[in-house]
Amino acid sequence: MQSAFSTDTASLARIRKELVREQRRVNLRRFLHNKLSVVGFFIVFLMLLLAVFAPVITGALGVDPYTSLGREMRLQPPSAAHPFGTDNVNRDVFARVIYGARISMTVGFFVGLFSSLIGTAIGMYATINAVWDNILMRICDGLKAIPNILLAITLMAVLGANMHNVILSLTIVSVPGVARIARSQALLVREQTYIEAMRAAGASRFRIMWCHVLPNILSPIIVQMTFTFATAIISEASLSFLGAGIPIPAPSWGGMLKEARSYIYNGWWMVVFPAIFTGLSVLGFNLFGDGLRDLIDPLSGR
Amino acid sequence: MTDTILSVSNLSTSFRTDRGWLKAIDGVSFTVHRGEILGLVGESGCGKSVTSQSIMRLYEEKRMVRYEGTVMLSGTDLLSLPFSRMQHIRGRDISMIFQDALSSLNPVLTVGDQIMEPLRIHQKMRGDAARAEALNMLRLVGIPAPETRLRQYPHELSGGMRQRVMIAIALACHPQLLIADEPTTALDVTIQAQIMDLIVFLNRQLAMGVILITHDLAVVAQTCQRVAVMYLGQIVEEGGVPDIFDRPLHPYTRGLLASIPRMDGDRRERLHVIDGTVPLLHQMPSGCRFAPRCPYATDHCRKEMPQLRSVSGGQSVRCWREEE
Repeated sequence: MQSAFSTDTASLARIRKELVREQRRVNLRRFLHNKLSVVGFFIVFLMLLLAVFAPVITGALGVDPYTSLGREMRLQPPSAAHPFGTDNVNRDVFARVIYGARISMTVGFFVGLFSSLIGTAIGMYATINAVWDNILMRICDGLKAIPNILLAITLMAVLGANMHNVILSLTIVSVPGVARIARSQALLVREQTYIEAMRAAGASRFRIMWCHVLPNILSPIIVQMTFTFATAIISEASLSFLGAGIPIPAPSWGGMLKEARSYIYNGWWMVVFPAIFTGLSVLGFNLFGDGLRDLIDPLSGR
Repeated sequence: MTDTILSVSNLSTSFRTDRGWLKAIDGVSFTVHRGEILGLVGESGCGKSVTSQSIMRLYEEKRMVRYEGTVMLSGTDLLSLPFSRMQHIRGRDISMIFQDALSSLNPVLTVGDQIMEPLRIHQKMRGDAARAEALNMLRLVGIPAPETRLRQYPHELSGGMRQRVMIAIALACHPQLLIADEPTTALDVTIQAQIMDLIVFLNRQLAMGVILITHDLAVVAQTCQRVAVMYLGQIVEEGGVPDIFDRPLHPYTRGLLASIPRMDGDRRERLHVIDGTVPLLHQMPSGCRFAPRCPYATDHCRKEMPQLRSVSGGQSVRCWREEE
């Protein structure tokens, strides 16, 4: 079967490597072309860095989110020593905001991760079994019918206010959205000829789902994960603001805003900085998610 | 040649629809021997694909279906097997290749992964052993530089290459029977010839039976030993390829053969057309199913359905005219 045109393996491999590299360059350029998504990516990156290195950063400045700096340091405006000022109980706002990134990112990360895992499993299982499809999807409809924040508050009231329960209740709130996406994508993929071909090759239902459907529906789920991340950050802030989230004295951005409410006239810095960070990180994740979505499916969202 | 691999007898497949159960194929019987290529021809919608998918029992997961008759594969009746056992037969004892190779390959998995899939499923092969076998298969189907191809994705291959990969996947476990459902329809003519040559070569090499589903009589004439002509879910004529091409007995077969344009014929002459169209399944004629379109149809034809009867030389036909 060797013909005069076929090249040897080594040069074919080289050509292929070239092509792959070229494709990566094209993808990267397409991503960079969308300036906003690059901005989003850097915000996300920065927030994650802040979250991971919070103790290092605050340690370098010699500040701490929990210790009172003494009565004379109450409600001090931003200064060189305390760039974001101090709060009503004499703590450094900068340190609290940086540690707040830790809480927000942790909540966002775990809610994104767990809801993607559970939602994908539910959505895919629903496509196998028609009876469970009905049951699971009606439960999802039911959950979606209740406004997210209301449902989260109710769950928090039942479960009790702490970080684990914030993650748990926000996961419960986010699962239906992911499940719907996973289900609709899996239904599309399942009808493709290559799935039929795999059935003809003797693959079991489970194997088809796990090895053949899942890799095909992964990208929209990953995009959804970045949006869930953003939603979880803002939901956590809302819960803490309403007093149903992470209890004080933990430096959650929402909790800080709740406290700052009473000092809005004589300590504007207490309001402004946590608010900026909350808004910025939600914006960052959304822009990043938009960029990812355009990369995966250039026709959508235009 | 007398070694029978597959014998289908009286196979009927019905689907549940809004109008009740509809029989898509009705009493189909044929056999496939070791090392033989059986052509299954007929126009669109005559039940060629339903026949092949029923042999594989591929409909069960998708819709309401009812099978009747028997499908004996080397002594086991596939239709009476439990579903889980059927899963072990697919891809190991019977394989199938589809029309459009691009949509039949998973876009996110490498070619190598997909060839290894049946090996992993049926022979529990892992790692290097599976990889080596996949390489062997790629060589067998005549793909140059198989080591490189193994790591590529389907979109990186040409149409003919993809079909070769499909064949490699189908044959990975050395099945006794290969069902090729219009394997060359999506390819251009030169590649078509290459793929058909490959199928004929592998059929001899691996001594397996092949059912070749096609609507291209030229392909049948070149590759098959025997041919079964289907019309509206029934086999209307069956026999050796030379016999049927020399002496078609059923008016439908004659019509099909007459519709082939000839290189040596009169260019100005219009192509032969079989009058009328295929009736819908729920408006099935009560007598011979071809009667409404048959130029020789009599009242007898319209009232009573003829049976498939053997005539001389292993040829059989479903027509009243041959009874007399």
